[in-house]
Amino acid sequence: MTRTYTPWILLTVALALAAVYLFPLYWMYVTSLKTGSEMFANPPTFWPNNANFGIYPEVWARRAMPTYLWNSVLIAGGVTAITVVLGTGCAYVLARYRNHWIDVGLFFVLMLQVLPASVMITPLFVGFNQVGLLNYPRTAVVLAAAAKAMPFFVVLVRATFMSVPRELEEAALVDGNSRVGAFFFIVLPLARNGILVCAILTFMSAFGEYIYSKSIIQSPSLQPASVGLSGFLGPNSTDWSSIMAYSAIYVTPILVAFVILQRRIVSGLTSGALK
Amino acid sequence: MTAQIEMRDIQKHYGSFHALKGISLTIDKGSFVALVGPSGCGKSTLLRSIAGLETITSGTLQIAGKTMTGVPPRHRDIAMVFQSYALYPHMTVEENLTYSLRLHGVGKADARQKAAEVAATTGLTSLLGRYPRQLSGGQRQRVAMGRAIIRNPKAFLFDEPLSNLDASLRVQMRKEIRALHDRLGATSVYVTHDQIEAMTMADWVVVMRDGLIEQQGRPLDLYDKPVNRFVAGFIGSPAMNFLPGHIAETGNAVMLADGAGTLPLDRGLQPGREVIVGVRPEHLDVVGDAATFHLEIGVVESTGSATYLTSPDGNFQLVQSERTSLASGDRIGLRIDPTKIHLFDPQSGIAL
Repeated sequence: MTRTYTPWILLTVALALAAVYLFPLYWMYVTSLKTGSEMFANPPTFWPNNANFGIYPEVWARRAMPTYLWNSVLIAGGVTAITVVLGTGCAYVLARYRNHWIDVGLFFVLMLQVLPASVMITPLFVGFNQVGLLNYPRTAVVLAAAAKAMPFFVVLVRATFMSVPRELEEAALVDGNSRVGAFFFIVLPLARNGILVCAILTFMSAFGEYIYSKSIIQSPSLQPASVGLSGFLGPNSTDWSSIMAYSAIYVTPILVAFVILQRRIVSGLTSGALK
Repeated sequence: MTAQIEMRDIQKHYGSFHALKGISLTIDKGSFVALVGPSGCGKSTLLRSIAGLETITSGTLQIAGKTMTGVPPRHRDIAMVFQSYALYPHMTVEENLTYSLRLHGVGKADARQKAAEVAATTGLTSLLGRYPRQLSGGQRQRVAMGRAIIRNPKAFLFDEPLSNLDASLRVQMRKEIRALHDRLGATSVYVTHDQIEAMTMADWVVVMRDGLIEQQGRPLDLYDKPVNRFVAGFIGSPAMNFLPGHIAETGNAVMLADGAGTLPLDRGLQPGREVIVGVRPEHLDVVGDAATFHLEIGVVESTGSATYLTSPDGNFQLVQSERTSLASGDRIGLRIDPTKIHLFDPQSGIAL
C-alpha cells in the first residue's frame, strides 16, 4: 500500500516546495501590474483588477534600462568568455594529471569558492585602485567576477573531462594527431555539452552579479541592471510597481533562456554526454 | 628475418615504481608476438612504450631500424587496438576508420575508397554510417581492427583487445585476428593476460613478470621446456601441479613429501636434494597396479569431453579424457611418463 502512495506523497511535497519557491516570482509579475492601493489591499488580490501594462515601457524608458541591461550583458559576456577560455584549460589539466600538486591545486580552487564576494571586495577594491583598474570599472568587475565564477566552472568541467576516456586521446595520438590536436578535435567535442552548460550557468549567475558592480562601478551609465535596481530603494521610495516591473523585465529573458535550454542543462549536468 | 622492433635494455620508472627492469626483445618482421603475464607485470607498459604513449626511462627502442627516442606516437607509424576499442563516439564508423588517413592528408575520395575496402574485409560495409554507440561489442571490435589496418602501419599493437567480448566471440575473433595478420603480412605485438590467447595466436610468446622477461620462445617450447616454476605454472591450462619432494638414494627417482609415492626419473640427480616436482594435469594416467603414487579425490567435474579430478585440498588436479566412474573420496593410483616430469629448485624456482 505504501508503495503505491509514496510517489504521490513525494509529488505533493515537491509541488508544495515548488510553489513556495516560485510564489515570489508570481507575486513579482502580479504586483508589477497592480495600482498603489490594490497592492496593499487586505485581503490581497491574487490577480490585478485592472492590469496596467503601460508600466513596462514607462519603466523601461524612465530608468534607462537599455543601458543597464547592455552593461549586464557586457559584464556577463566578459566573465563567461574569460571563465570558459581559462577555466577549460585549467579543468583539463586538473582532470588529466594525477599527482600531489594537482590535489593541492584543486584544494585552492575549492577554497576560492568558499570565500564570499562581500569579504573579497575590500582587498580587491584596494588592489584595483593601486593598479589603476578602477578607471575601467566594467573591466575590473569582469575580472573580479570571473575569478569568483572560475572555481565552480573548473570543478564542473573537470568532471566532464574526466568522463572522456583517456584511451580516446591515446588513440588519436597513435592515429597521427598531436597532443594539442587530440585535445581540440577529440576531447573538446566530447566535452562540449558539459562546457556549454557550465558556460550558460556562469553567464546567468554573472548576469545577476551585484556586490562587485555596486562597489566598483560609480557611474550609473556603466552600471549593470542589478545595481540599477537598487537605485529605486531610496529612503522615501515606495514605488513598488515600478520596482516589480523593472525586476520582471530584468528576470524574464533569463527565465526564458533557462526554460528553452533546460533539457540540455539537465542532461549535460547529469550524463557525461558520452555513450 | 629482419627485426621490425628492436628493444635494448629498456627501463621504465614511475616515480619510485620500477615497471620495466631491462627488457631486451627483438620482434621480427611479419611475426606475431604475444606479451603475456599476470596483471601488473609490465606487458601493457612495454606495449605503450613501443607506441610512444609512455616515455622510457633508459634503453633504446628501434622501429624499422630507426631509433624512436623522443619520437611522438604520430611519427612512429604504428597502429594500436585498445582494450576499450577507443572508438571516437562523435564520429561514424566511416569517420572512425578514415580518421588517421585524413590526418595524414589523404584525399576524401581516396579515404572513402579505402574505408570501403577495409569495411569489406572486416564485414562492416552495412554499418559505415552508424555511430559506435549503435554497434554491438563484436562490431566495435571490428571497427577498432579496421581502424588499425586501414593504413598499413609498420606494426600493429594489440592491448588485450578481446577481454571485453564474451567467450564464444573471443574464440572467433582470435582466429580472425590471426587470419588478418597472415593476410596482411603484418608485424603484430599482442598483449594479453590469457595464456590460451597467447599460445593459440602467437608465433613467439614472451612471458613477463614484475617488469622482467621470464622466458620467450615458440608456444610449444614454453609448454614443453619452461625455464622456471613461474613459466611452468603460467603456461598450460589447467595449471601445472607442484609437489615438494627429494631425490631418492638411487639418484633417479623422486620421493614425494608426506609419503605420497615415488616418481621414477629419466635422469640422475644428486641424492637427497630437495626439489619441486611439476606435473601437468593432462600427463597423469590413472592406473591400477602400476601406480607410483596415490591421490585422494575431492571433486569430480565432467565437461563431457574431459573429466577434471581435484584433490581435497584443491592443490592437485588432473584431466582424464575418458569418462570415469570415480567419485569424491576414492583413492586412485597414478603414473606419469618420466620424460614429462619437470623438476624445479625449491628456492630459486629454476628448472633442473
